[in-house]
Amino acid sequence: MLANPAPGPAGRSTHPGRTNVGALAPAASALLGVALLTGCSSGITESVSTAVKDSSSAVATARIALRQDMAGKLTRAATSTTLDDGLKELQSSRSTVLKLSPVTTVDRGTQRQALDALDQCAAGFATARAALAAGDGGTPSLADGDKALADAQDVLKQLESTVASP
Amino acid sequence: MKRLLRVALGILTAIGGFVDIGDLVTNAVVGSRFGLSLVWVVALGVLGICLFANMSGRVAAASGRATFEVIRERLGARAGLANLAASFLINLMTVTAEIGGVALALQLASSVYYLLWIPVAALAVWLVVWRVRFSIMENVTGLLGLTLVIFAVALFLLKPDWGSLAGQLTPAVPEQETVWTYSYYAIALFGAAMTPYEVFFFSSGAVEEGWTVKDLLQERINVLVGFPLGGLLSVSIAACAAVVLLPAGISVTSLSQVILPVAEGAGKIGLALVLLGIVAATFGAALETTLSSGYTLAQFFGWSWGKFRRPAEAARFHLSMIVCLLAGIAVLATGVDPVLVTEYSVVFSAIALPLTYLPILIVANDPQYMREHVNGRVVNALGMVYLVIILVASIAAIPLMIVTGAGA
Repeated sequence: MLANPAPGPAGRSTHPGRTNVGALAPAASALLGVALLTGCSSGITESVSTAVKDSSSAVATARIALRQDMAGKLTRAATSTTLDDGLKELQSSRSTVLKLSPVTTVDRGTQRQALDALDQCAAGFATARAALAAGDGGTPSLADGDKALADAQDVLKQLESTVASP
Repeated sequence: MKRLLRVALGILTAIGGFVDIGDLVTNAVVGSRFGLSLVWVVALGVLGICLFANMSGRVAAASGRATFEVIRERLGARAGLANLAASFLINLMTVTAEIGGVALALQLASSVYYLLWIPVAALAVWLVVWRVRFSIMENVTGLLGLTLVIFAVALFLLKPDWGSLAGQLTPAVPEQETVWTYSYYAIALFGAAMTPYEVFFFSSGAVEEGWTVKDLLQERINVLVGFPLGGLLSVSIAACAAVVLLPAGISVTSLSQVILPVAEGAGKIGLALVLLGIVAATFGAALETTLSSGYTLAQFFGWSWGKFRRPAEAARFHLSMIVCLLAGIAVLATGVDPVLVTEYSVVFSAIALPLTYLPILIVANDPQYMREHVNGRVVNALGMVYLVIILVASIAAIPLMIVTGAGA
């Protein structure tokens, strides 16, 4: 992808005042290489950042739904549907991150961190759904589900700030 | 007294029938991402649909012809066919989105997976289109749709900081968004408010109900009072999202998120009302879009049409609606997200809007059709301003869709 072009004849500019293009070719290639690498890198960062934001939104939604359920404001059917929708959103974000092809070690690290965070979110959703299925007084409780999601939200926030700062 | 009741009923059904899945989703998405900074677009869209519906209703009442009869006559068969193809496909997309909306709302009420509700919803739409009288169909769904007023009630119950909410009304791009996403959602909101099917339905409904020029006053009152109040409902959906979802960092991507602010403010009673309202609004819109599919095809090809005729006397009209419903079911059966279909349908509605708006504007100025009921100066001036706005929105929509990744 980043192969340098074959070096051409050095050549000398026949037009005084104009830049010698041939002499600049290796430098231009190097610059292009850096730009492409940076582009790929920022592409990964951007994809991870979007996935984290979407997941964060899904987790926040699930927490509001759980809190409303605990307060008797939301029916089980609506809470269950909201959790299912959130989980779907999370799975979509995870799939996006999983399909990324990082080139650098830093990007591979970012992808790994994101996948770990998203797995923790999925575990939080699993606890919340189990709590909903267990019903009132069952184990885990809705409060346990909310706690698991709150922990996942903290991890996402940390990741968000890591991804945001270069 | 009877006349007054008719006017009141017309206004109420216009309010209740104003909101559909496009308005619900787009306003909630916009409220959760942009606060109230795009409310000016709702105002622009509501004024536009008032103008457009008023013109097309007047054309239908004065000439006895509905939108697509007029389009074919004025544009000729070839240009008219291109117009029909674009309008019909977007209408089909809207049918799909509305049926999906009914199914999603029923899932929220029952927790039964929405894909299982889709054939039920489509069958119910067909049965109503087949069996129920036009006026009953329109009034019942419109009146039940009024329960969406719960969004406005919930907004008050949430006790927001009104000053801060009013501060959001200034058109401005929020920090975390770009001018491109802001513009993209401005077009989406405009498309949601000015959906072409509303006009097909409105003008065909005028023919169905046998309107004459004597009914123009009531038509004007319905439009000029009912639609702006419906627009306020749209704003309250956005405001609820801006109060509850925006501060929590939630961007709306599903219908289940749209109802959370209502449950927060009004509890389970609010939840029951909002679900009833969403089912009524989306079901009503599914009926209107299904009928609009039949209307556009039948009017263009000169088939016998209308619910005032027995189904056997308008067989192709009814058959085309059944085919549309089956196409909608087939699309949804692929597992495509109905909310995504909705988001695309409102933008494509904005793209196709000039195709139906321009012929109506031309005919509304043609004394051969309209006699003394041609557009007045003020309406014409507004009509021209809106033509420019509609063209700009239509041209800018696809580039903005590409640049923003459909508003992502």
